[in-house]
Amino acid sequence: MNKEDTFLEKKARTVRATCVQMAYDGKEGHLSSALSCVDILIALYNGFLHVDASKPKDINRDRFFFSKGHACTALYAVLADRGFVPVEWLQSYAKTDSPFPNHPCIHALPVLEASSGSLGHGLGLATGSMYGLRLDKIDTRAVVLMSDGECNEGSVWESAMFAAAQNMDRLLAIVDYNGVQAVGRSDEIMGYTSLEAKFKAFGWAGTTINGLSISEIRGALAKFPFAKNKPSFIIAKTRAGAGISFMEDDQVWHYRKPSDDDLKRALSELGEKPMYLRQVEQNEKSV
Amino acid sequence: MRRAFSNCLIQMARQNPRVIFLTGDLGFQIFDEFKKEFSSRYVNVGVAEAQLMLAAAGLAKEGWRPIAYSIASFATARPFEQIRISICYPNMPVVIVGAGGGYTYSNSGVTHQSPDDLGLMSMLPGMTVVAPGCPSELSMLMPGLFSLKGPSYLRIGRFGEPDYQSASPAEIGKARLLRNGEKVAIMCTGDIGTVVIQAVEFLNRDGITPIVYQMHTIKPLDTDVLNGLAKKVKSIILVEEHLPSGGLFSAVAAWLVTNSRKLRLVRLGAPDIMITGSPRREELRRRIGCDAESIRQACVKEWDG
Repeated sequence: MNKEDTFLEKKARTVRATCVQMAYDGKEGHLSSALSCVDILIALYNGFLHVDASKPKDINRDRFFFSKGHACTALYAVLADRGFVPVEWLQSYAKTDSPFPNHPCIHALPVLEASSGSLGHGLGLATGSMYGLRLDKIDTRAVVLMSDGECNEGSVWESAMFAAAQNMDRLLAIVDYNGVQAVGRSDEIMGYTSLEAKFKAFGWAGTTINGLSISEIRGALAKFPFAKNKPSFIIAKTRAGAGISFMEDDQVWHYRKPSDDDLKRALSELGEKPMYLRQVEQNEKSV
Repeated sequence: MRRAFSNCLIQMARQNPRVIFLTGDLGFQIFDEFKKEFSSRYVNVGVAEAQLMLAAAGLAKEGWRPIAYSIASFATARPFEQIRISICYPNMPVVIVGAGGGYTYSNSGVTHQSPDDLGLMSMLPGMTVVAPGCPSELSMLMPGLFSLKGPSYLRIGRFGEPDYQSASPAEIGKARLLRNGEKVAIMCTGDIGTVVIQAVEFLNRDGITPIVYQMHTIKPLDTDVLNGLAKKVKSIILVEEHLPSGGLFSAVAAWLVTNSRKLRLVRLGAPDIMITGSPRREELRRRIGCDAESIRQACVKEWDG
């Protein structure tokens, strides 16, 4: 493992700690869905996505659609880490009129490409966006992060069909396959069929990887696009609640909010402090 | 009306290079000319209405002026959530077109009937809802939809509706005066307007001269005209190919109650049922009391009453 991956892994632990703190402070759930996609977000925002915090609406930016909106604590923390939003804002998560509501809202946070929270929208939006950009000869890319549960939605497959028909090889869909959805295991609900085979049958090219390994994610991203004239997918196998032993692969953490004890145990396991508490501490020191 | 729509679309695309047309695999041969002239601005997403709305929203986000076309029921009820979340929530200027609204396709059965499109679309915040009554009216209204800042829904009929004439032009958000008169007003929306004109011709022969308005814009409702009428007439007859909820009657009734106006409303339109039996449109209009004779009788009653 190289030095950069090690650095990013530490960053991922900090983001996870921040997610737990936000869920605790904001008293909102979906923590396990946030924890499972942290490494993917870290890899995307550190070296892959061409996005610039100083020009967040630059026409040539890559379009990133965070379609699994319920997992937004992870997105907010990574956006703060990359300087798109002030770290202090994280404290307001899920509070009234916060820029960080518990499902991302473009009116609250205009730096987003789209609001999310209802599943199965991001991929279709990305195809429309890409179609228009291609007509304008703007050679940019779109990345959509979806959940495995989200792939239950029929609209995902309507969009997948369109992307392939339009040879959208600047489009990448990443599925955070954490194995758990709201009230069941995704494999049980989807009938133990291969998501990779499904995307391939729809004319896409891609691969299945360990979505909890930053080096593996970065390796897969480096191969994008996976085929000429085809949209790309990465099935990132993760675990719900990843990174915190007592939350991992436990259905209950889709909805449960961490208690005082859960918070303490989680932070101690991660060995990193949350981003915004650290900020507060620094402020206190400076006073 | 669909020919007028296609011609108007070509004109819009010529004037505005950002206009892009999306279809849910409908409009056989109607858009051949458009496709020939603007091949890259013609997108057939397939029989995939969710994707139709999502792709349109994505295009609008990148500064395009998308117009998304399907049969009315498939353009509204089916992708309602995509319209609500991805078009209305960010207030994207997408023009949604429902062809064959109301009971245009009555004899194709319940699946193709669209007696709830105006209601569904009106319920969405920020949505402008327009249902022109004849081809020339459509040509007057359609260009305005492309200068709106937010989304709009346009219900259009099918082919060969007769044109009616009026001295006043059609303008979005303004009721269009079709015939001036007194005592009783008839208001309609969409292509039932041609039937209303027919009924009024019979009435005029008997010396009965109601005021006739085409309420082509259901939302926002032209309350100025309603407030004016409240001082002039004792009753308004509302004619609509729509369910009792959410259409013209609903909107006017809400206005009436909110403003404590003393006016009688008479509704001629579909009852709250699924129309089975696949009746032909003329037969259906007769059954639900929206044919020229029913309109005439209703008006005579109000005139004499």
